[in-house]
Amino acid sequence: MPATIHPRERPGIINPIFTCQPAGAQFASIGIKDCIGIVHGGQGCVMFVRLIFSQHFKESFELASSSLHEDGAVFGALDRVEEAVDVLLMRYPKVRVVPIISTCSTEVIGDDIDGVVRKLNEELLPRKYPGREVHLVAVHAPSFVGSMVSGYNVAVRDLVQHFAGRTEPNGRLNLLTGWVNPGDVTELKHLLAEMEVDATVLFETEEFDSPLMPDKSGVSHGETTVEDLRSLGDAVGTVALNRYETTLAAEYLEQEFGIPTVSGVTPIGIRNTDTFLQRVKNLTGKEIPRSLVIERGRALDAITDVAHMFLADKRVALYGNPDLVIGLAEFCLDMEMKPVLLLLGDDNPNYDDDPRIRAMLEHVDEMEIVTNADLWELERRITQENLELDLIMGHSKGRFVAIDSQIPMLRVGFPVYDRAGYFRHPVMGYAGATWLAESIANTLFADMEYKGMKEWVLNVW
Amino acid sequence: MPYHEFECSKCIPERLRHAVRKTEGEDLTSALPLGYLNTVPGSISERGCAYCGAKHVIGTPMKDVIHLSHGPVGCTYDTWQTKRYISDDGNFQLKYTFASDVKEAHIIFGAEGLLKQNILDAFAAFPHIKRLTVYQTCGTALIGDDIEAVAQEVMDELPDVDIFVCNSPGFAGPSQSGGHHKINIAWINQKVGTVEPEITSDHVINYVGEYNIQGDQEVMLDFFDRMGIQVLSTFTGNGRYDDLRAMHRAHLNVLECARSAEYICNELRVRYGIPRLDIDGFGFEPLGSSLRKIGMFFGIEDSAEKIIEEETARWKPELEWYRERLRGTRVCLWPGGSKLWHWANVIQEEIGVDVVSVYTKFGHQGDMEKGIARCGNGALAIDDPNELEGLEALEMLRPHLILTGKRPGEVAKKVRVPYLNVHGYHNGPYKGFEGWVRLARDIYNAVHSPIHSLSALDISKDEIPTDRGFVTRRMLSDRDLDPQIANRADLRPYSGRFDIIPEIRARRAERVANGEFVSAP
Amino acid sequence: MTIVTQQSVLPQHTSAPALPVVLEPDEVTAARVEQLCEVIMKKCLWQFHSRSWDRLRQNERILGMTTSLLKDEQVDVSDPLDRCYWVDARYLAESYRERFEWFHDMSAEQIDHLLSALTERLNVLTVTKSLNEELTDQHY
Repeated sequence: MPATIHPRERPGIINPIFTCQPAGAQFASIGIKDCIGIVHGGQGCVMFVRLIFSQHFKESFELASSSLHEDGAVFGALDRVEEAVDVLLMRYPKVRVVPIISTCSTEVIGDDIDGVVRKLNEELLPRKYPGREVHLVAVHAPSFVGSMVSGYNVAVRDLVQHFAGRTEPNGRLNLLTGWVNPGDVTELKHLLAEMEVDATVLFETEEFDSPLMPDKSGVSHGETTVEDLRSLGDAVGTVALNRYETTLAAEYLEQEFGIPTVSGVTPIGIRNTDTFLQRVKNLTGKEIPRSLVIERGRALDAITDVAHMFLADKRVALYGNPDLVIGLAEFCLDMEMKPVLLLLGDDNPNYDDDPRIRAMLEHVDEMEIVTNADLWELERRITQENLELDLIMGHSKGRFVAIDSQIPMLRVGFPVYDRAGYFRHPVMGYAGATWLAESIANTLFADMEYKGMKEWVLNVW
Repeated sequence: MPYHEFECSKCIPERLRHAVRKTEGEDLTSALPLGYLNTVPGSISERGCAYCGAKHVIGTPMKDVIHLSHGPVGCTYDTWQTKRYISDDGNFQLKYTFASDVKEAHIIFGAEGLLKQNILDAFAAFPHIKRLTVYQTCGTALIGDDIEAVAQEVMDELPDVDIFVCNSPGFAGPSQSGGHHKINIAWINQKVGTVEPEITSDHVINYVGEYNIQGDQEVMLDFFDRMGIQVLSTFTGNGRYDDLRAMHRAHLNVLECARSAEYICNELRVRYGIPRLDIDGFGFEPLGSSLRKIGMFFGIEDSAEKIIEEETARWKPELEWYRERLRGTRVCLWPGGSKLWHWANVIQEEIGVDVVSVYTKFGHQGDMEKGIARCGNGALAIDDPNELEGLEALEMLRPHLILTGKRPGEVAKKVRVPYLNVHGYHNGPYKGFEGWVRLARDIYNAVHSPIHSLSALDISKDEIPTDRGFVTRRMLSDRDLDPQIANRADLRPYSGRFDIIPEIRARRAERVANGEFVSAP
Repeated sequence: MTIVTQQSVLPQHTSAPALPVVLEPDEVTAARVEQLCEVIMKKCLWQFHSRSWDRLRQNERILGMTTSLLKDEQVDVSDPLDRCYWVDARYLAESYRERFEWFHDMSAEQIDHLLSALTERLNVLTVTKSLNEELTDQHY
């Protein structure tokens, strides 16, 4: 059976894999220090996104709403954006960055958020907040276009566009991570540090995992500063990790400042991490040190321990953000597994152009790729078309497919709310490769024991 | 007027009249905050939208219904799997959610054709489900799709299906409460009176404003079984669509969450003459009185007395065990709406804690009237609290525990205040006699957590105690307790199981098998 | 803050001797009204229906029946709506008798007087001087 790619055939969605653009813009917003985004729309567009962030991270993040009510929906609600900015600035004196994120309702009624930003810059800010540095950044995120993935992409571009400038070359590398976990950021920064590469990271999200402190000072927020954002134009190069999440910003930096750019690398698995390091080496001229040879060797050792005996030929379904799914599929292939179903969670008609997908279509025997997918594509194949699976990998929204069909599942991606602490573990880099391989194996082991399926094998492993 | 002014909100004077501290000599004519007004933009309020109030809170607990949101995917995704309203037949309502997936072209050219195809596809995907609700969202409200016409067209084509249309876009009102109202009225206008039920008892009720969070409704059905009361419908937890079309045949509406469901009870009273009895399903005395009142109404008070006697004998010693150990515990009762008044008094009387503050995210002034009436003097009442006010209140009130939702709970954690989830519950159900003990147990576990007791220690500055490798909850809770009370042999901690719902379902199934009366099939 | 109970904050008149006059002095009535009101506020929900007209009717019907029950009079409960009022009234009357021994010594006139003062007070708290701005909303 040859590999195929096609979009979801039904017009509607049964059990969505992804949410809409404003959520992506909000995820970008929380990565910046002293930044609180205002979502221009109904309150649910913020309240539920904050809830899903807090479900995933077990932390709370600050995001505001313009609180669109009935009158605003009829007569326009830009006055509520003006009020929201003022109220936010009055009460949060540290705030320097305020992305103003539109939604479906305010795009439909045609509220001009660019115009209101201009107006506020000309009137409110100089009048009431003279001397205070405040950046209002309009982000158009209509919910009826794209997905949270494209919303993130658009928001990162708009933020970069607003801030990036050119002063003196700073020798640093721009690292646009895409929608990843704090654990990934830690691992990526570690790899770069080993290579002695200074990087500006969009976004510094390690502080999302904030501590419970005796002095009550712990707060979850991003750490990428206005200064970091400004310096993006001075970099020696840009590495944009996730094709569908960071390309717009990377292209902007390349076109505007002529910064050499490597786009579309997703360093999941050994091979993709190798590629990432090679690209970094090319851009910076820095050598890959022996310490990383050792780390890589440790990861290879760990994967070797499980791959041939336990992972080989295991049939896997993957769903989630497209770059994550593609990266995981590639790594699964390296680990002798069979990723037979890939559900790409983003409304995007251009996957055919992705060289990674083209390579899989050319070389993989059995693989179905569904674009703009929902979870019904997975469930229907299992329950009605007898798709045999040994493992599902995806986020928590698909948990009942796995539970009801009794297929073991490893939680990856966003959101993961039904397992503790997964945001802390990387899937990227050598550490991520190790975590993935071992977690896949452990997930299969637990299933063997639960179902009484060759569980005695593990007696002597 | 005893308004409380938050430092953080001095710059938004319209917030002043939203917080009140009722003290000695004050009553409801002098102490009541404003409520249910438009939110101050940019204040970081906790409120949701009218769409979620309709779809997510009230619509979706109906268990045999395809819940389809007509709009872009986000509203559907965001409100999916964030609640714990279970059902007794497989949790279809938790597992499946549907979005018509409106895109840019539909916004321009209309999405009615798309909606129709969606409905047909959804019925085709789940041929055993014959009922469907369409929820309007902001986008489709603004483009003006005629959802009713599409629904009628499908019903004409597929005679065995029925479709309910709920027009409650996110912007329809200051909070989710607007959606509660809209779906109540839409349901009675469109659906009540369109099915004639089979009546199996002389005592017939609708159980209204009950959402089966972690099984609350099933706990109550077990009582109604034992009282011989037919529960014609539950609005809406674990409820069936067609049962709810027959609400007009009940003799009595038993109303639990008046915040979200008084509207339909009021209309049932006006249109069909069905009386409305407001009850409290939480706490031994209020629940007992509620069962007794329902019994009185039907002249079967003995059946209620029997339940109260049995359940009290079984569970009171466990409740008391906790009450003795929770006296003086300062709690902020910060729920969404109705629990602020359901719990404000009884949690003090029966669990022993002191309620130092109440708030409501989406309640109206009527909820605050009930809450303030039931609080003790001095409690701070806050309407539509925002993030900074919540933190300021925690700093000022120094509670030992906050009873609130998931995300505000994470905020409280950082200022070293443990939280219990009172929307979805930690380890519910909390209704019923055993359920109330489960709440007391959860409060005890949170307040007397040995790990929490470590959180104030600054190992860089403080002298670190090195004399022990562990502390138990008992060591903390009994430290200052009179030994005579601590050692009372007639009291014991909670003895029930992790999941009590299977026992209840087994009991009810046994009644069915034995041909005994059950309140609802 | 401590737990507020009837005993701790409200004056008790359990041992008050029977008075020679038919009605209690105003201050006794006022104190008792507060006690009775407190029970309603802490234990009942019926007084907080959402509209003024509804509250007035609830207060009048339920407290009217409570008065009758306290006077050991028959109440007509043939109509279901009345039966529902009666249920709340019975709960209240029984709570009052249980909590306040002085009820046992009261004459019918005294009960009428006290409960009508209570009704008046409750109407003030929940309707006429209520700060609830939704009470006159035309929608139900």
